[in-house]
Amino acid sequence: MTINRTAAAVLALLLAAACAAPTPPRGQAGTTAGTVCAPPSGVPEAETATTIDVIEQAYFCILGNYYSGATLDARALLAAGFLALTQELNRDGRDVPEATMPALTGDRKADWAAFEAAYRRIADQAPDLRDTLAAVTLEAMVAALGDNHARWTHDVKPPPDYYDGDGYGLGLQANVSGWQVDGSSPRVALAPLFVTTVGGGAAQAAGLRPGDVIEAINGQAPFIRGDATPAIAALYPDYPDARPVRLRLLRQTTGRRWNVTLKPGLYPRDPATLRVVQSKLLDDDIAYVRMTGFAPDSANRVLRAISRMRTGRTLAGVMLDLRGNGGGSPVEVARLVSAFVHGKVTAYQCTVDGRCAKSSTDDTVELLNLPLVVLVDHGCASACEHFSSAVKDLRIGRLVGTRTAGIISGPAQSYLLSNNTLLSFPDRHHLGPDHEVIDRIGVPPDQYVPLTPEDAAAEHDPALAKALTLLHK
Amino acid sequence: MRQILAVAAGLVVLVSACSAPAPPRSDASVPPAGPAVLPVPTGPHPVGTTVLYLKDTSRPDPWDPDVQARELKVTLWYPTEQRDGQRARYMTPKESELFLKGTGIASAPYDTLSKTRTNAIQDAAPSGRKLPLVALSPGFTKPMSTLTSLAEDLASRGYVVAGIDHTYENYATTLSDGRVAECLACDSDSDPGFGAGAVQNRAADVSFVLDELPSAWDGSGLIDQSRIAMAGQSLGGAAALATMVRDPRVRAAIDLDGTTYARIPKNGFTKPFLFLGTEQHVPGGLDNSWDRDWKLLTGWKRWIVLTGADHESFTDSPLVSGALAIKPLPGALAAARSAELTRTYVAAFLDQHLKSQRQPLLEGPSSRYPEVEFCPATCGHS
Repeated sequence: MTINRTAAAVLALLLAAACAAPTPPRGQAGTTAGTVCAPPSGVPEAETATTIDVIEQAYFCILGNYYSGATLDARALLAAGFLALTQELNRDGRDVPEATMPALTGDRKADWAAFEAAYRRIADQAPDLRDTLAAVTLEAMVAALGDNHARWTHDVKPPPDYYDGDGYGLGLQANVSGWQVDGSSPRVALAPLFVTTVGGGAAQAAGLRPGDVIEAINGQAPFIRGDATPAIAALYPDYPDARPVRLRLLRQTTGRRWNVTLKPGLYPRDPATLRVVQSKLLDDDIAYVRMTGFAPDSANRVLRAISRMRTGRTLAGVMLDLRGNGGGSPVEVARLVSAFVHGKVTAYQCTVDGRCAKSSTDDTVELLNLPLVVLVDHGCASACEHFSSAVKDLRIGRLVGTRTAGIISGPAQSYLLSNNTLLSFPDRHHLGPDHEVIDRIGVPPDQYVPLTPEDAAAEHDPALAKALTLLHK
Repeated sequence: MRQILAVAAGLVVLVSACSAPAPPRSDASVPPAGPAVLPVPTGPHPVGTTVLYLKDTSRPDPWDPDVQARELKVTLWYPTEQRDGQRARYMTPKESELFLKGTGIASAPYDTLSKTRTNAIQDAAPSGRKLPLVALSPGFTKPMSTLTSLAEDLASRGYVVAGIDHTYENYATTLSDGRVAECLACDSDSDPGFGAGAVQNRAADVSFVLDELPSAWDGSGLIDQSRIAMAGQSLGGAAALATMVRDPRVRAAIDLDGTTYARIPKNGFTKPFLFLGTEQHVPGGLDNSWDRDWKLLTGWKRWIVLTGADHESFTDSPLVSGALAIKPLPGALAAARSAELTRTYVAAFLDQHLKSQRQPLLEGPSSRYPEVEFCPATCGHS
């Protein structure tokens, strides 16, 4: 739940920064809609408590502006909110006799009035839980959209001892991502569970290395009969969760088997490794560029890096490493695609009734005229999948690695609620250049090259090796 | 996923932190008022200035991977006995153009800042003995000249000031061969960890300048090498903290409204430090960095907030805004007042810690400067 929240929040934040809504949201559902919430502007002010009035604003904001806001059954949102409310009461070891769902008719305004009256009756009997009840209710209503770019961002506070660039957690990444564990991404997790990177923190202090197989987490198996278990979620705690995590590890190269207890916390990371765009020359003729997000100006940064490596040299091709690229701006995607092809559509953004806007190449970008191989994996999400599907459908390069995350419902717009929290969701859904759904399905690689624990232990990158051979053919 | 989280967090921090080029302060502009004139320095000495170009061949440039050395332009301000001579140029017309374009100011001709009148005599002979030294570091995207009013004032009070243009971290620095270095670092300024990396680069720049100054400048014999401090605005203030943490020669430092990035040792850090900022930097505000550092500073320290100040109040920006036809926002500190406050409190800190002169101004609120609030004890949330 918390990881799900963070992942979605993060996507939403990145998208919010990137996808400025060109036009104000249109109202589609009744008189209050459309004006009930507006995009944020200026410096954010301090958050205040969530109240039933904030929930009401969010409810009509969704109905007025969300992709399927005009057509969805609003009763489903209210039911999801109400269920969460009762669960929170029970979680606190109590119940309220009047906490029964009011009858709903399908009239959105009348149903809201009935819901609000019931909510107030219940909340009045648990005044000490007031803020929590409001928060879980609104969270559940947003979750009921079942949209991986729908998100309510609240109570965002970095740890007080946070330094720019710090990571939080155990300091490791495994072959199964947090998104796979929490359901954000439907990518299948394959046993065994093993460490892929050690970024610092407790994992580094305990001497963990890539390739170390994680046999148990807090005494629980990460896989049961081949299926990933919820135990894996403990690898990715969110602040302020600082409960120690006990791991049983196997280092296959030596046969050593041991236990460590890792305490989550803030840990510093090398700023050089955090640059969104990093580049190097491989074999003296391949321009390798790693891009961890489609941040503002990142396409230009990639193109400048390639141009620098091309100076005084004949390049055989470009290798774009988009593994773990969490997305960003569709504008940057279009620019980067445009360095490889002109006059094409990179994606469609469609309303619920099938009216689609096109994202097109920016033909002012100079063509590189170089072969392209793109490294992808289950961490390539959102704008990264927009790019990958364009590369594949427009035949401008080959994809190597594993299938992308499938977290690309549509570009999210942000709306400021009256308590200074942010509600974000798409008003259109994303389709690939061939009008195909990318969300949840993901983009399959042209060459399937998974990472094994043996490769990770040997610091061998089989996908990169495969990409090199493709570019040198 | 952790990384993405940090991306987002980093963005949030940066947004509230440094750069934010000052756009015109209101939509209404006023007719230009002729060239800007920097206020007369308040100390007893006339001021001289000169430029040094230093090259650190021990490390590659952090922003241009094709350059195997770090080239720095250092502007020195110092006391002199010479009252007449050519006043130093504030910026070249080209630097003015690139700076205004980069900052998004189009309300006046692009060469306007090159006409700014300064007070320091170009290449005047330095005078004095056992002078304390202050390294000065400007905000991100800003050339060193944006702190000229402060630098001239400190020199008139008997300090040698070494202002550093951190190459490729501002819109325009003319290098020794006449090339104008632009803001390569602006490419990556939204990356997570950008601030943390940048202040370490700047600390290396400052330490290198301190290494080289004795051999690079004829007047360096006048400097008391045991009395060195550093100050800076915005990212430059963060760099002052970073430099003080890692260079034992820097005894004290001042951060003018900069979100900080360097790690202060957790076992007690006793060098004197002054936070001087706007109401954005009150305790418990959006930026956690001053609260975080305050707990780790165990020596003499002050946290001062200026009511009505904005991020640019500590720079020359308010002083040149008339010439740029930019109208100040209602309620903003007057330009002359923000310069006076900055000069007064910076000098008081340096006089106390480099010249061992006790400064009552630093002990608490003053009727002469009612804008000044002492945090965290007596400053309210804005």
